[in-house]
Amino acid sequence: MPFNRKPQKFNASIKEVTIGCGEKAVTLGGESVFPFYTFDGDMKNAPKVGVEISDMGIPEVAGIKAYYEGCTTMAEIAKKAAAMEGADFVCLRLEGGDPNGANKSTEELVAIVKEVADAIDVPLAVEGSKNVEKDAELLPKVAEALQGKNALILSAREEDYKAVGAAAGLAYDQKVGAESAVDINLAKQLNVVVTQLGVKPESIVMNVGSAAAGYGYEYVVSTMDRIKAAALAQGDAMLQMPIVTPVSSETWNVKEAMASEADMPEWGPVEERGISMEIMTAAADLASGSDAVIVMHPQTVATISKMIKDLM
Amino acid sequence: MTLFERVFNGNNAVYGLTEQAIDGAIAQYGEEKAVSFPDTAYSLPCYYSVTGVKVTNLKELKEALGVVKTLMTREPRLNDAFMSGVATALCAEFIEALKYIDGAAPYQQPLYGHLPDAVIRELGVPLVTGDIPGVAVILGSAPTVQEGVDLVKSYQAQGILVTLVGGICDQVAEAGMNTGANVRVIPLGKDVTAVIHVVSVALRAALIFGNITPGDSKALMEYTMQRVPAFVNAFAPLDDVIVACGAGAIALGFPVITNETENIFRVPKSLIVQEDVSKFNATSLEARDIKIKITKIDIPVAFASAFEGEIIRRGDMQVEFDGSRVDCAELVQTKDASEVEDHKITIVGPDVDEMELGSKNSIAYVVDVAGKSMQPDFEPVIERKFHNYINCIEGVYHTGQRDMQRIRISKNAFAAGFRLKHIGEVLYASVKNEFEAVVDKCQVTIYTDPAECTRIRHEVAIPTFEKRDDRLNNLTDESVDVYYSCILCQAFSPSHVCVVTPERLGLCGAVSWLDAKATNELDPNGPCQVITKERPIDERIGEYEDVNEAVKKFSQGALEDVSLYSIMEKPMTSCGCFECICGIEPFSNGVCITNREYAGMTPLGMTFPELASMTGGGVQTPGFMGHGKHFIGSKKFMKAEGGVARIVWMPKELKETVAERLNQTAKELYGIDNFTDMIGDETIATDPETLVEFLTEKGHPALGMDPMM
Amino acid sequence: MALTGIQIFKMLPKKNCKECGCPTCMAFSMKVAQGAMKIEQCPYVSEEAKAELSEATAPPMKTIKVGCGEGEYTLGGETVLFRHEKTFVNKTRYAVALCSCMDDAEIDAKIAAIPAVDYERIGERMHVEMIYVNYDAASGTDKYLELVKKAAATGKTLVLGCDDVEVAKAALEICKDGKPVLNGANASNYEAMNEAAKAAGVVLGVGGASLDEIYDTVAALEKAGNKNLVIDATGASLKETYGNAVQIRRAALKDQDRTFGYPTIVNTVKLAKGDRYMQEALVSLFTMKYGSIVVLENLGYAEALPLFGLRQNVFTDPQKPMKVEPGLYPLNGADENSVCVTTVDFALTYFVVSGELERSGVPLNLVINDAGGLSVLTSWAAGKFSGNSISAFIKENIESKVKSRKLIIPGKVAVLKGDLESKLPGWEIIVAPQEAVQLVKFLKDLQEAGEI
Repeated sequence: MPFNRKPQKFNASIKEVTIGCGEKAVTLGGESVFPFYTFDGDMKNAPKVGVEISDMGIPEVAGIKAYYEGCTTMAEIAKKAAAMEGADFVCLRLEGGDPNGANKSTEELVAIVKEVADAIDVPLAVEGSKNVEKDAELLPKVAEALQGKNALILSAREEDYKAVGAAAGLAYDQKVGAESAVDINLAKQLNVVVTQLGVKPESIVMNVGSAAAGYGYEYVVSTMDRIKAAALAQGDAMLQMPIVTPVSSETWNVKEAMASEADMPEWGPVEERGISMEIMTAAADLASGSDAVIVMHPQTVATISKMIKDLM
Repeated sequence: MTLFERVFNGNNAVYGLTEQAIDGAIAQYGEEKAVSFPDTAYSLPCYYSVTGVKVTNLKELKEALGVVKTLMTREPRLNDAFMSGVATALCAEFIEALKYIDGAAPYQQPLYGHLPDAVIRELGVPLVTGDIPGVAVILGSAPTVQEGVDLVKSYQAQGILVTLVGGICDQVAEAGMNTGANVRVIPLGKDVTAVIHVVSVALRAALIFGNITPGDSKALMEYTMQRVPAFVNAFAPLDDVIVACGAGAIALGFPVITNETENIFRVPKSLIVQEDVSKFNATSLEARDIKIKITKIDIPVAFASAFEGEIIRRGDMQVEFDGSRVDCAELVQTKDASEVEDHKITIVGPDVDEMELGSKNSIAYVVDVAGKSMQPDFEPVIERKFHNYINCIEGVYHTGQRDMQRIRISKNAFAAGFRLKHIGEVLYASVKNEFEAVVDKCQVTIYTDPAECTRIRHEVAIPTFEKRDDRLNNLTDESVDVYYSCILCQAFSPSHVCVVTPERLGLCGAVSWLDAKATNELDPNGPCQVITKERPIDERIGEYEDVNEAVKKFSQGALEDVSLYSIMEKPMTSCGCFECICGIEPFSNGVCITNREYAGMTPLGMTFPELASMTGGGVQTPGFMGHGKHFIGSKKFMKAEGGVARIVWMPKELKETVAERLNQTAKELYGIDNFTDMIGDETIATDPETLVEFLTEKGHPALGMDPMM
Repeated sequence: MALTGIQIFKMLPKKNCKECGCPTCMAFSMKVAQGAMKIEQCPYVSEEAKAELSEATAPPMKTIKVGCGEGEYTLGGETVLFRHEKTFVNKTRYAVALCSCMDDAEIDAKIAAIPAVDYERIGERMHVEMIYVNYDAASGTDKYLELVKKAAATGKTLVLGCDDVEVAKAALEICKDGKPVLNGANASNYEAMNEAAKAAGVVLGVGGASLDEIYDTVAALEKAGNKNLVIDATGASLKETYGNAVQIRRAALKDQDRTFGYPTIVNTVKLAKGDRYMQEALVSLFTMKYGSIVVLENLGYAEALPLFGLRQNVFTDPQKPMKVEPGLYPLNGADENSVCVTTVDFALTYFVVSGELERSGVPLNLVINDAGGLSVLTSWAAGKFSGNSISAFIKENIESKVKSRKLIIPGKVAVLKGDLESKLPGWEIIVAPQEAVQLVKFLKDLQEAGEI
């Protein structure tokens, strides 16, 4: 008796959300199968890889510094990031806006956003400072500054979804990243309220929370597994938004990627640990259902984009 | 003259002027002359929004006027009046548009006139978020400059966007008030037709933020009615033109508040006469249902959850209030909106500075709330939060509830100026903020006069508590129309759904039907959703088609069907938070119940943790079920299998906790006295054989019941 | 369909004899239903019931044991496709690849590097568990046998990647006592391979050119009486391999096709030879999606730290959160005069909080007591993170070791402040912010203010 294949076909599919304009625009989502289950059906669009850059400049990682060598302005950094092999879009993270950190002003950050947006032709995602009060003020201004760019604004959260959602999704026609904390119900609830605000479901991308491998990653897996199952098998329209997962902002902050070789001699070179952490976390995110991952190291971008290509 | 006649007259007058103006312009410039407002993609915005047609030149403007004319029907009906109001507004837009011909700049600082799209996008975001809670349109001249300025400032202080049309523009200028979009006071223009510029803002907001298709006037008006919190304050005297404009405002859902008393007709919620201009603010907010967020509580000490655990020792204490020694009470009462004056705080009796240092005093605070969605069932839910609110005040300590609360105020807090009214401020602000969805108005009365406290406690509070307890006891699954789902635990137990009914609270023991109901009202998209129970499948085990559908939906398909009253057939699932687990004990034909606190062995041969690992995780495990302690005394406990008579064993402590209710239920259901005496515990048996001996000796009813499996 | 405890109980003699080790028949039934015990462990169950039950309770995926002694690992035995449905029971094992095509120096260096990774993470020993010994025909039999000897000498559990029956037999002679996996059966050699594996008493790995070929070979081996198998899912491309791994597992668990009810091997070296980064991505991918043994070239600290962390997370029981050991954890060079800070023993909370504490650079003594492995608010609500439990732990374990008498508590349990102050005389209780991300600024501010 031969092997009897039983493909898992779903009538529902993940909504397609396009970011950016022109030839280099990318479309997230569209799949009606579990991640990379091409033997069941069409994935439609390959998951995408975004390259993170920060208003705080180039991080102190040798390989990354080498890649961006000679770049002195944010425009140059952005161009170089966009040119990375395997990069689909650039994600500008405005971490300098954090009032507990560099506390850069909204005007200063918006100027950087404009500089970056004008320098590149690939789609742009902009991530806020992580501070809700600041982001509620900053991200609407970012959305305004990016009119016509069809950018992805990360993120609207439970606390500031009205300000961010209204500005990005309604006033200035950008795409809204809805961020919740690794829980399917919170993710759905946020999508519901953002939609009630008037933002079209086709303009919403979810960030359902992320973690570095080893740091409560089981919640990330199960949240994404359940969301994809609910979206495809149950046809839950409020969970059919594609998922974007910022990886680098988590993985380069854990001990394994930060402790110096001097402190942990047996662990070996710190950069290799950072790359491994980023690659493995990004691969696991994609296996769980992310439609886009945001990473930082050129090696990760190259490896992950090749893995996606080989899986499609 | 009737209101209809006034509207029609005003409309006719404006229409005449408009026709004249357009004809004059055509004569001057020719038909092809371009007409537009600067910096908008929606020209002419109001006409375009309502009809879906863009007007670009005088010829088209003249045609548009023809369309406007068709709105001007003259039957004395509400709709005719509204449409004439809309027609008046559109005429006003045409007149204003003509002012801009040839790139003219008809408005000079500080007047704004037409507002560009960019301003709308910018103002739209805070409007959507509620940071701008409302839009006031002030029309005409206030009785005095001072009254006008006071009114404008009162709105400004609440974050409301104020637009000015007519004489009020001069009045604020005369007072030297700073105006402009940045301070949210926008003088539009001195002609009454300038009012169209704020209407234009509302309509473009609907197109931009509401995705309304231009020309879909029904959706347009629904949007402005529901989403644009604007209202009109029109000062006397009102001429017919203003009345006609007012009809247009009302058509968009914006109430008109006026101090005009001559020849005016009151229309509830829409056309309101308020003779006292100083009350325009409160009247307007209530009419438009605008709630002002309280961002800062005005008290002299800090207010934060970091102070929740503070304990005030006797030596550090200024005064205390002690419900266990003297008459005290804390109470929430639902009142009619007319009986509550928002933010009124009244002290009856001596304040803290009139009390002796270290003294013990009476206190009773009554919080009156009013709201369209408020229900008396929410009173205890709000009341239970008082402990938390008062405890978060730096230097104030609170324990207990109802009429048994104890409060201490520290010497430091007192020295910083803390007085009783500040307790009122905290209660007011916290209740308004947290229960925004149900509380529209709130006032606090704090009694410290001993006689008054005695009166409040015995004549008001205690009867209320008794009434509530009675209601709780009389609430049955049959007496309500809906149940609630609770999925708070899905983070741990992905497919678990609790169905919370009056007689079966959540298995964690923390969510009663009333709690779930309140949670649902306060957060309609939250973890508790309404479940109807209209299509019963099997009354015996408590299975409903609608409950099954809900469970399937909320478990993302993991669960197909559940019964509410059976442990053997399709039992409800368990997460991991259950207070108790009951499991079938086959040798006695009954069930054993064990609770989280009891670590020992049960006659099932399994301990609580062992049972928990088999029962939890949102999986149906026939014969085993997690539940709350309170459920044990319920008449619905395993109703399908014969009810509480099946209980053969419980840990001693648990048995004592539930004895009163359980015995009462057993008495009512089977006529058995002191039923708990028949139930085994760990001092009697932890194995089935000894247990069965004990049960036989006591004549436990389970032994004679039908086999459970 | 799996049987419920009640259904199993009905088929038992209900003697409560306790001979199975359970206090009651009910308890035994529940354990059988869970798969924790086998029906055969009941001494009095009828043959009829046994037959009926063992068919019904047989797991959809077999549990296969490889290795021996400390190196014995259990593979397979999964019942669900997604961890949230119940739990994944037997974690993925990683094998470092050696090949007879390598020169001696490379082999020796690789073998020497294997023991370097050996550490503990949340109560679990993390180390290289297996070695994949690949046969390269061009390098000859002797070279391979030499390599097998060296690999066996490490004491690690071996997977022999060898499809030449005679070589395999010789290799098994060297290492069969260590219970290696013989990964080499395919459509053309399975009969002989089957004999070799059976004779040596080892698990046989089955591969093939396509999913259908693998399926047929497994079926043939089962027919020949061998159900001690693993399936090599590695195909010609990544896409094919991923499809194989997913479809094999899904056929077994979802479609109850027991022919595919075996653990799988995925060899990333075949898919991305020499590309360590791609292998890192793939080892992560196949940890998520259904590799029971995943083979890669390098497993140093750079790979191990994220990989073992990921595995520990993915294979944790969703209802039993991971816990860290209670104790005193000095951070940032803390000494006995450094201030104390406490939180719960829930691993996720611990990692998040300790990460932020480390980032602050402020020397701190992190005090962890047994809070039931729950989050701050949950354990507080359950009475496991209370004034009593914290103060008792501090009195017993901390006061003798630390001189500082300041304790920082999580902002979410600010309510404990007064209680702790009264139960810990002489201690000053400081309330931290509600969220861990606010800790760095909070601690730096305290430090600047000279409070700590």
